[in-house]
Amino acid sequence: MKKLIIPAVLVGVGIIIAFPLFSMTYYTMVRTSTPEFCASCHEIKPAVVAWRSSTHTNNASGVVVDCMDCHLPAPQNTFDFFFAKSYHGLKDVAVHFFVGEYDQEKAREAAYAAFDNDQCQKCHRNLLHMPTQRGAMLAHRSVVYARPGYEKKCVDCHYDLVHSERGLVMFRQTRQIPYQAKGLKQL
Amino acid sequence: MRRTLMFLTIGLLVVGLMAVPALAQPNFAKVKEYRIERSVPPEAQACIECHRSTTPGVFADWAKSRHANANITCLDCHLVQPGDQDIAQDHEKYYNRSDMPWGEAKYKMPIASIVTPKDCSRCHPDEATQYSKSKHANTIEIMWKLDPWLNKGMNSDIERKTGCFNCHGTVITIDDSGKIDPNTWPNAGVGRLNLDGSKGSCTSCHTRHRFSVGEARKPEACDQCHLGPDHPQIEIYEESKHGTIYHAYQDEYNFDAAGGTWTAGVDYRAPTCAACHMSGSGKEPTSHDVTQRLSWETQAPLTVRPQDFKPFPSGTDWKVERQKMKNICSSCHGDSWINDFYDGFDKAVIEYNDVYFKPAKAKLDELYEKGLLDKTKFFDERLEVEYYELWHHEGRRARMGAMMMAPDYAWWHGFYECKLRFANYMEEANHLIETGQKAYIARDFPNATGDTTRPEKIFGKTQ
Repeated sequence: MKKLIIPAVLVGVGIIIAFPLFSMTYYTMVRTSTPEFCASCHEIKPAVVAWRSSTHTNNASGVVVDCMDCHLPAPQNTFDFFFAKSYHGLKDVAVHFFVGEYDQEKAREAAYAAFDNDQCQKCHRNLLHMPTQRGAMLAHRSVVYARPGYEKKCVDCHYDLVHSERGLVMFRQTRQIPYQAKGLKQL
Repeated sequence: MRRTLMFLTIGLLVVGLMAVPALAQPNFAKVKEYRIERSVPPEAQACIECHRSTTPGVFADWAKSRHANANITCLDCHLVQPGDQDIAQDHEKYYNRSDMPWGEAKYKMPIASIVTPKDCSRCHPDEATQYSKSKHANTIEIMWKLDPWLNKGMNSDIERKTGCFNCHGTVITIDDSGKIDPNTWPNAGVGRLNLDGSKGSCTSCHTRHRFSVGEARKPEACDQCHLGPDHPQIEIYEESKHGTIYHAYQDEYNFDAAGGTWTAGVDYRAPTCAACHMSGSGKEPTSHDVTQRLSWETQAPLTVRPQDFKPFPSGTDWKVERQKMKNICSSCHGDSWINDFYDGFDKAVIEYNDVYFKPAKAKLDELYEKGLLDKTKFFDERLEVEYYELWHHEGRRARMGAMMMAPDYAWWHGFYECKLRFANYMEEANHLIETGQKAYIARDFPNATGDTTRPEKIFGKTQ
């Protein structure tokens, strides 16, 4: 009986220490995962402003796609998510203070390069059956079932989707001109 | 009497009504119908309804196309975004025309006249990517790196627009009024530099508005450019066995087979240009990169391997590419046939290089070095023209004739002419060298007024 007292006390103390530690970490993660937090860096502000006027924020389904949804691994991949988030957060702060100059175009290219199709396909899963968009059906087939050597990224064509300058807020259902990808960026 | 009058009136009415569509579309006796029965945006319906009467040829072409089959409308290709620089401004006024049933503001869409490979890549990304790597897509760059007509300004801008650029392509620009500069348009050149930065024009071979795969599989798609004294590929093809069989049996060919299924021996008896250079066959996949499968640059002054072609190194390995072409050949031919053919082709190329081109080039350099020829311009001294035609005309005919097995082009239009040209050229060159006499420089060389600036969009700013 006596033998169990010490481990029980240790476990209890552990829980008392760990609980606030974990909840603080969690709280920090949640607080630093909002677009508002991202926009608190002036470098990122234009991206957030553009995102706010895009169809990824404004659509009749009411779905809002946050920065994290596209730019970080899914939170259920806990380790990847925490690692990527901490790494980018620390790197961005370090670059802000020690490098200074922020090249938006360069950052944009780096983001395209880092983007995996899986990232988009977390939400966009039914890409092959679009009876009113035959062209997209054809193009998406060449991505989903890419021939060897012809692998493509979603962002190769859809590079003007979110962070583009536009005068007005874009509402998916009221946009007068149907959305069309512009074609392969590298051409 | 009254009955007769009634019949006459009705008869006249019927004839009159039948004439109405004919009047609206004078050149089209029978109007192609299109009942919009599938989901099409109202704006696209407006395009179709209006263009059915204003440009019935364009409409009828589209209506027969695979695009119409797949419900791909005008808008899918011509739509641009507001603010794009290539919006067809004159087109916008049609949305404010009370005399036109579809001329209403609610159908207004910004559209561009020019549809580019980048636009096509929205649905056909792999084809556009392959094409972008080809010599076709990059021909403006190649032309400016090689050609004395352009670099020395030896022809006029209009001679270029109507001649050179018609096949090679223009650098499309927008003039001050926001319209496409008429000096650069209309054009469907294979290397046209478009406003969106993409190169070429898919409609060079898949002509608008039919965009047919079958059309591009026919030699007639290629012969619009690949003909004439300097690169008579079509004449060579026609003389070859392949061309002979094509002409005899083309009515049995199935040109419209689905992509990836066009089969030698089944859909065609002998190959067309595309069948060997682009289409898939046996284990070789289809490619829109015509630079593939080539093992010699038979159009270059000195025949080199494609990877050593300085103006545009292919980035390929000629041995790999030759094997690809051999794989194509082997759909119909046996190994010894293929290898022995290539043996002859290689020997012809090496003879051209060593016996004709290299000595002629060395002689030209010697004349320049001794100051007997003037380097300022090209073509204004007879020996320069002779040298040029030796490689650019008969030299190419000889090599291409050997490659595609057209004996008349290999010999009479080729090596035979090379021989005569070479002998005369050497005679005059040696005469100048022996006498120290300078060559006559044409004082009245006409129309050497062309712009010599390399296109900035391709070469960057020149100093």
